[in-house]
This record gives sequence, C-alpha cells and structure tokens, in this order.
Amino acid sequence: MENTLISLAHGFGIAFQLDNLWYAFLGCVVGTLVGVLPGIGPLSGISILLPVTFGLNATQAVIMLAGIYYGSQYGGSTTSILMRIPGEASSVMTCIDGNAMAKKGRAGSALCIAAVGSWVAGTFGVVMLTLVAPPLATIALKFGPPEYTAMLTLGLIFLAYMSSSSLVRTLLMACIGLLLGMVGIDNMTGHFRYSFDLAELGDGIGIVPVAVGLFGLGEILSTPSHTVVGEVITPKLRELLPNRKEWRESIMPIARGSVLGFIIGIIPGSAHIISSFLSYALERRVSKHPEEFGHGAVAGVAGPESANNSASTGAFVPMLALGIPTGPITAVLMGALMVHGVNSGPQLVTEHPDVFWGFVASMYVGNLMLLALNLPLVGLFVTVLRIPYAYLYPLIIMFCIVGVYEVSHSVVDVYIMLIMGVFGYALRKFAFDPAPLVLGLVIAPLFEQSLRQSLIMSNGDYLIFFSRPISLGLLIVSVIMLTLSAITFVLKRKDWREKLAEAEAGEMET
Amino acid sequence: MVLRADHVAGAAFVIFGAAIIALSRDLPVGQLSMPGSGFLPMIVATLTIIFGLILILRAKESGPFSELGWDDGKHALMVTAITAAAIALYEHLGFFFTMLLMMITLLIVIERRNPIRAGIYCIAIVLFTYVSFVYGLKTPLPEYSF
Repeated sequence: MENTLISLAHGFGIAFQLDNLWYAFLGCVVGTLVGVLPGIGPLSGISILLPVTFGLNATQAVIMLAGIYYGSQYGGSTTSILMRIPGEASSVMTCIDGNAMAKKGRAGSALCIAAVGSWVAGTFGVVMLTLVAPPLATIALKFGPPEYTAMLTLGLIFLAYMSSSSLVRTLLMACIGLLLGMVGIDNMTGHFRYSFDLAELGDGIGIVPVAVGLFGLGEILSTPSHTVVGEVITPKLRELLPNRKEWRESIMPIARGSVLGFIIGIIPGSAHIISSFLSYALERRVSKHPEEFGHGAVAGVAGPESANNSASTGAFVPMLALGIPTGPITAVLMGALMVHGVNSGPQLVTEHPDVFWGFVASMYVGNLMLLALNLPLVGLFVTVLRIPYAYLYPLIIMFCIVGVYEVSHSVVDVYIMLIMGVFGYALRKFAFDPAPLVLGLVIAPLFEQSLRQSLIMSNGDYLIFFSRPISLGLLIVSVIMLTLSAITFVLKRKDWREKLAEAEAGEMET
Repeated sequence: MVLRADHVAGAAFVIFGAAIIALSRDLPVGQLSMPGSGFLPMIVATLTIIFGLILILRAKESGPFSELGWDDGKHALMVTAITAAAIALYEHLGFFFTMLLMMITLLIVIERRNPIRAGIYCIAIVLFTYVSFVYGLKTPLPEYSF
C-alpha cells in the first residue's frame, strides 16, 4: 500500500507536467466532442486520432487517447439528454429519462447530475484501478503460455456471453478477426500468410485501418444524412443546478452505478454499454417509484451515467495489469502503446512506471477537468450539435483517410479501411456486431504464439492446459460460460440480455 | 422456402472459411508437438465454416432477405465510390487538392448543398487541417506529385 502511494505521488508529478496536462485536456475536449456528436463513437475517435499521437512520447499518447475514451462517456450524455439521440452507445439508457427531464424544463439538472455522477464514478474507478492493478500485475507475472492461452480463450468466450448479439454471431466475428490477425509473416516460422505478394501485408493488417473502417466509415455508410434530424433543447444556465430533492435522489444511484460499473468494466465485452443497461434495470428494480422511470426519473440518469464511466475505467485493469484487452477500445489503446514500443501487461508497472503511474494519475486530473468542462461549455456543445450532419460526415471521411494513411504512409492501409467500411456496412445490415472482430484481430498474434508455445512445451500434449491450476481454473470458467450460452441458444430461451434489450426497446418507443 | 438474411450471411461465411482453407494448402500445418504456420488458420477457418452452417440451420430466426432495407444503398455506394477515387488520387494530387475535391463532391453531388457555401466550408476545413497537421503537429502530408 505504501509503495502504491509513493508510486502514485510519482505519477502525479508526471501528470502535473505542463505538456501532460495539455494532452489530458486535449483528450478530454476531443473526447467530449466525440461523445457529443452522434455517429462518432470513442472507438472511431481514438482510431482516427491515433496517428496524431505518433509525435508524442508513450505517456503523453496514452494520456490523450484515454482522455478521449472517458471524455466520450461524459459527452455522450449531452446529446442523449438534449436531443434524445445517444451520442455514444453507452448513453442509450440516458436518453429515456434524461430527455424526459429536459422536456419538463430540467435539462440543466439532468446534465449536472450526469456530469457529477460521471465524475464520482470515474474517480471511484481510478481509485480502484490504483489499488487493484499493481497486485494483479504481480500475480500475472507467474503466467506462462498455457495461462495466457486459457485467459485469451476465456476473454473471447466472456465477450460472446456478454455480447448483445447471439453466441454464434459473436464467435463468428471473433473468428474473422483471428483470421485477419494471421495475415502477414508468421513470427515463429517466417512463412508469408495470405499476403498476396503485397509487401505492405507482410507486417499484417493493422488495427487502425480495420477499426476506422468498421466503426468510422461503416457508420457513415449506414447513416444517410437525411435520416439524422433532431431538435436540440437548449438548457438555461441558471437552471443548471439540481434542487435538493434531485440531489437526494441521485446519491444512491451514483454509488450503486459506480460499484456495478467497475465490476462489469473488468469483465471482457462492451462493458461500458452493458453496465449502463444493467444499472438502469437495477435502479428501476430497487426504486420505490418504478412507474417514474421513462418519465424523467433522476435515478434513470444518475445510475447509467455513473456506471458507464466507472466501467470505462475498470476496463483499464486487465489491459494494464494483464496485457489483455477487454474490448475493442482497450485493444486500440494497447495498439497505441505498442506503436510507442511499450507493451502493456504485468511488466508495464515495473518496466515503464512513468507510463503506468503517469497515466493513472492523469485520470484523476482528467476526471476533474471533465467536470469543470462539461457544465460551463454546454452552450458550445449545443452549438456543435446544430452543425448539419451533411457537413460533418465529409470531414470525418477526410480524417479517416488522413488518420489511416499517416500510420505507415501506405495507401494499401487506406484501401483496407475502405474495404472494412463496406464490410462494416454489410455487417450492420445482417445484424452483426463488429466489435468482437477487432478484439480477435488484436489478440490473434498473442493467442497463436501462446497456443503454439504451450504445445511445443508439452510435446504436443493438450493436457498441459488442464494440469496447471490457473489455466485449469480459467478454462473451467470458460466452459461454464459456454454452457450457459449454449443452453439458452439450444432451448431458444430468452436470457437476461434479450430481456433487457426488449425492455429497453419498449422504453425507447414510448 | 423463403430465403432469409441468415441463409445469405451463413453461406458467405462458409464460402469465406472454405476459401481460407484452400489458400492455406501451401502452409505447413505441422504436428501437435511442433505446430506450423497453417495450424491455427486451419482450426479457425473450420470453426468459421461450422458457425456459418449453424447460422444457416437456424436462419428461420432471422427476417426474409428480401425485407432487408437497402434504402441507404445508393448513398453508401456513392460515398464509397467517391472515397475510393480520393484514395486513388491521394498520393498523386496530394492532401490539399484530393480532400478539397472529395469534400466538395460529397457536399454538392450527394448532399445537393449550395455550391458557394459548400466551397467556402471545404476550403476553410481542408486548409485548417493542412496547417494543423503540417505546422502544428509537424506531421507531413502527401504533396502534389504529378
């Protein structure tokens, strides 16, 4: 504990350096804009802006990119409350009661509760990250190839279990991602795989072209401008502070959302999205007035907004401590660190303490910045929301092209982005969630290497995965998850995810 | 029999998996004690085929293929074509002219916006981005090279 506090103090020393403060601020502002604007999620925002960080050092880069991530969670609520359009997927639940509050003339209160809830939950998440990540990293140092294979398998199966689409659809997407991740030179034998004599494919397919294509361009192709309409409710600044009753009603939902969000954040999957759904369901269940939900319940804003912020911080725990991404966003952040020659994982704390502790400390500062930014600048965000989408998407396409090209100055990467954009459009038509594909792509090299190393270690004996306690434990959890999903799938029973999706769809229609 | 969305999606994944297996013929699979570069691709491609087949078998849970909404198809096709043209020209015309042309085409041809307003907006945005990248971020962008 004492070591943690000393290291954290060292981290604050790094975070308070002027240039690091500037990049945290920049990340928070851009992230808030990314969250505010419908059609650009944190994943596409981070992917598009990744090349901008190439001129920075690893600490500055990760501080800025993480700022975009948690900033987007703050910003997403603004569009949800003022326009009833989720600026970001995790803000879907905030639309329901946030917009209902706005229609009652309480837009300012809803925005303030969302911002304060996000700050409390974000700070709680960082405190937990500070306490949990270093000891977890120490345990992870004992991991060998079989443990990593088992853990990555569990990650994929957990994602399939938690995903809102079906088990088969999620696993199919993960398989496509794994196959894409195997393009290029095989690190263990030097064989070229599926590179079609293109030298650019020798290094494999990058995360950036795939992520930008699927989530940036794919979203634009599926969103014709005439479909993006919306009235913006302009909050009055003098009505920004909630009254005493609203404060009282928001305290417990913020506390519950913070704890729930952090726990779900650690679990692989689109945690920040799932956490807001679960928090909404929980708040309605425990409320003495469940009939108020859907008609402007304060808890319906405070709970989900706290949960998604806490979850976005919780997602950094496995990324930083184990080197395992829990979702596509942390996968891209890991990719960003790799570009700077820093591998996230158990060695991060010991080998790059400046990056680890500087990053953790910057999140305390960033959350404070966001609280200060979000309320006074709400007028600016309302103005941004008035820019017609028809003028906005050509700008996004330009950033997609520039962003992808700048990664390796290769036009082949930009073509890959275009292909992925069209693929993403098709996937949306056929109701596939592309997120597991990106996760598969990122873990493919580590998964293949650890699987093959395990088999070589054991002279081809699969029992190596069952003879080591950690990998056995992880595989047992995988089997339980798979069985639970398979039972629902085979018996065609509705599980908690479908029930929740139906309930949410019903609420959105009313 | 009604052709459903998952029939088409499942078949596409089965064909994709089969194509990967066909392309992997030259890659050594190796043995369990020394897996080769074709080992995992073969396993994952086989899983892709299996999942694709399950999707086909359970296709009745999805809607009819003919009812998939393609109203946005024309918009998507035009945006894709204009973006593809911009990518092809990017290294030749350079950042400034390519992006200006692309944005103006998107705004005037697809969005039918006022040409003067669209032109001013595009010049301002592209110029601002160029200056920010080249002078602010010290990131070189492709220049006109014909």
